[in-house]
Amino acid sequence: MQEIVATYGLTKRYGDAVCVNNLDLSVSEQRIYGFLGPNGAGKSTTLKMLLGLVKPTKGEIDLFGKRFTAKTRLELLRHIGSLIETPSYYGHLTGRENLRILQLLLDVPNANIEKVLQIVRLDKQAGKKVSAYSLGMKQRLGLASAMLAFPKLLILDEPTNGLDPAGIQEMRELICSLPGEYGMTVIVSSHLLSEIDQMAKDVGIIANGRLLYQNSLAALHQSEQGKNLEDIFLELTGKEGSL
Amino acid sequence: MKRLLIAEYLKTRRRYVLVCSLCIIALQIAWLLAGNYDEEALRDGWMMFLYQLPLINAIFVPLFCAVVASRLCDIEHKGLMLKQLCVCAPKGALYDAKLLYGAAHVVLALCVQFAAVYVFGIVRGFAGEFPIRLYALYALFTIVVSLGTYLLQHILSLLIKNQTIPFIVGAAGTFIGLFSMFLPQLPWLRKLFIWGYYGVFMFIGNDWDSATRTNHFYYMDIDWLAFAVLLAALALLYWIGRTLFCKKEV
Repeated sequence: MQEIVATYGLTKRYGDAVCVNNLDLSVSEQRIYGFLGPNGAGKSTTLKMLLGLVKPTKGEIDLFGKRFTAKTRLELLRHIGSLIETPSYYGHLTGRENLRILQLLLDVPNANIEKVLQIVRLDKQAGKKVSAYSLGMKQRLGLASAMLAFPKLLILDEPTNGLDPAGIQEMRELICSLPGEYGMTVIVSSHLLSEIDQMAKDVGIIANGRLLYQNSLAALHQSEQGKNLEDIFLELTGKEGSL
Repeated sequence: MKRLLIAEYLKTRRRYVLVCSLCIIALQIAWLLAGNYDEEALRDGWMMFLYQLPLINAIFVPLFCAVVASRLCDIEHKGLMLKQLCVCAPKGALYDAKLLYGAAHVVLALCVQFAAVYVFGIVRGFAGEFPIRLYALYALFTIVVSLGTYLLQHILSLLIKNQTIPFIVGAAGTFIGLFSMFLPQLPWLRKLFIWGYYGVFMFIGNDWDSATRTNHFYYMDIDWLAFAVLLAALALLYWIGRTLFCKKEV
């Protein structure tokens, strides 16, 4: 299976604090990769480095088999959609108008706007101003924005944050369908173990900036038989791992 | 760049940026044109305006620039849009597009001012021919200084989330610029700050004869060296602002 994301010794230091420490990520094509870690583990920083929003202190990133540099950055980012931390939007514009702006910048067909709105089930609310959206609707708009170019790689940072149980289930089902229906690879970061357990095929567990485990979820369960993901996670990260 | 500029236009729907701009300029024009125009005023009308306009610009235009820059940049900070935009387009191009779009508001507003002054002078019957060369010089200096002021506000509003800080800088700058115009014995003060350059390039002076109670407007030498230095400084400021924005982590 082709490696779509590979990092080599990826490190980010802010002064004396090492936020991400020597990370060697490996994400395979058309799989859902669960990126697990407690709060402050370095998940968002890692994902931001993959998108070039944060400059690594050390290490290299390969995306789609190509080295990620200042020169190749935008060419590679054309194949990536992202939703980092909270969803981004212009509150004074409608959902459709928000997507129209991104459609212009990404130079993708206008028809993609209606397609993604239907996928995330926002087509009936697309004419409302985003400031009037609920948190769940804003999250869905964020996902629609990430999917607008139907990218090869989707990076979702805590996409179920703030959602109610029904919203979480809907988001989970949508994410699970993406590799099969659209051929996308998905990296989902979360601290909700049950969600990752139901979604991901592969998992990477990070704590205090270090990658403690990386393999398929099946292999993790097999090697730690009789334990659920929460027990395995707490054993690996330790209760002190969270801020 | 064309797509980025269209996107900038679409982003400002329902933000009434142009309306705000034109309201501030309308207020400025009303302030400028208000008053009684006696025989002396009509005789010296064109020169009188060339004398008054830099002073009035020093009050209104920095405020205008702060408002426009803030409204254009704040929408990105409020919606945390920079992390979305910076993966869709080159950061430098985003900086340039937003700067160009805001600068267009500045130029448009100043053109409205120029047109209002010209039309008013013709309608009111200012004596003599319209001094095209002098007003062309005035337009050149006003546009350059105003764009320089806008550039500074753009950089501050784009780099700093809290828009209070660029506003404070703009307000303080307005006072500094205005204050420096009343201290001709300290010409270096005007040249230190962008807001003071409305005074540096003021090329019409006024002698008030208290005995006869008449104004005498006269032409002053233009400091072309200061103009060249200002252009170079603004080019450097543009480069610094762009570099800072491109290097800033989102």
